Amino acid sequence: MKAPSEDHDLIRWLDGEMNASELARFTARLESDPALKAEAEFMQRMSQDVRTSLPAEMPVPFGDFFNSQIQVRIAQEDSSTQRAGARSSWLDWFQLPGFATITAVVAAMLIAVAMILQQPPSSDSLVLSTYAPNQTIQVSSFHSSDAHATVLMLDGLEEVPADRKIVGYQIERSEIDQEVAATTLYGERGEVVLVVAKDARNNPRLIAAVNPRG
Amino acid sequence: MRALFSSAALLLFLVTPGMGQEEAAPAPKPLPVVKPATDGKVWGALVYATNGPATGGSNLKPPADLTDLPDRLGKVFPYSRYEILGQHLQDVFREYESWVVPSKDLFLKVDSKGPATGGGINLHLQFWRDQQVLVKTDAVLRAGSPLFISGPKWREGQLIFVLVLQ
Repeated sequence: MKAPSEDHDLIRWLDGEMNASELARFTARLESDPALKAEAEFMQRMSQDVRTSLPAEMPVPFGDFFNSQIQVRIAQEDSSTQRAGARSSWLDWFQLPGFATITAVVAAMLIAVAMILQQPPSSDSLVLSTYAPNQTIQVSSFHSSDAHATVLMLDGLEEVPADRKIVGYQIERSEIDQEVAATTLYGERGEVVLVVAKDARNNPRLIAAVNPRG
Repeated sequence: MRALFSSAALLLFLVTPGMGQEEAAPAPKPLPVVKPATDGKVWGALVYATNGPATGGSNLKPPADLTDLPDRLGKVFPYSRYEILGQHLQDVFREYESWVVPSKDLFLKVDSKGPATGGGINLHLQFWRDQQVLVKTDAVLRAGSPLFISGPKWREGQLIFVLVLQ
């Protein structure tokens, strides 16, 4: 087993790190110590073999990949630096959460307002919904441009008997009695023509006071 | 209470026709005058449409702004003659139901739903025939644009209800 100092001197000798005086002393030792000389020669040959079998410079494995990764990192650092510098730009609005939703809603509202403004208000009456309690009655509605009128068509109505006399009135005004929930209808001369009340089933009851045309 | 009494008196008078004639009962007192808020005024009419002779019992005329009513009806219904059997000028009460009764045979209940966007009134209408409601409808009634409701056949023609916002 060699002393560490000797090993250290041997390594420095192999690496060529000794100055002239140190080299002279170590050379003298080699001459006087055959075992040390044999070991030194062995290690020197091995070192030379290693140097000759391996190239002096080795290419970096996957160098292109590393280079590209380095360039990406550099670009990221540059862009983050630029964003930090341009924090007050108007483009930051696009990065706000919900910006797309808000933009879509505002756009839809503007379009709706524009459509309303462009469309002239209808001057026609409208039928919005219909319901016939009697299912034998079919209800439909339409607007007649020729007549400038809205029509509610009722099909399936039972005919009025031909011998029935239709009595018409000429009502000019009405008054409400809130206490008895009745409406009094007056004719053109101010006379009471009808009283409209409700029965127990909340159906209208028409009570004729006079029969001006019957 | 006074209103109830007057209404009851009127009802008793009306359902006993013989009493009114024999005992010369006093004329029914008008009900207390109430002026509720209104959303507008409508004109309703019951029209007899026919290709045959008119009933001859009516000489009623439509309002001045609706003198072309027969022509307009003729563009919708296949009849040549249109006779107004009865008519009714009615306030549309804001908080109370209104009745348009040009005839006891066909009449209209009107409930206002308030002013409509763009003009006119939102209405809930019930079209009645005696004690039967024929149709219920929600409608927007605008001035100058009448609502024609086709009624039942009668004799040689058909009854038509006309409603116009004044």
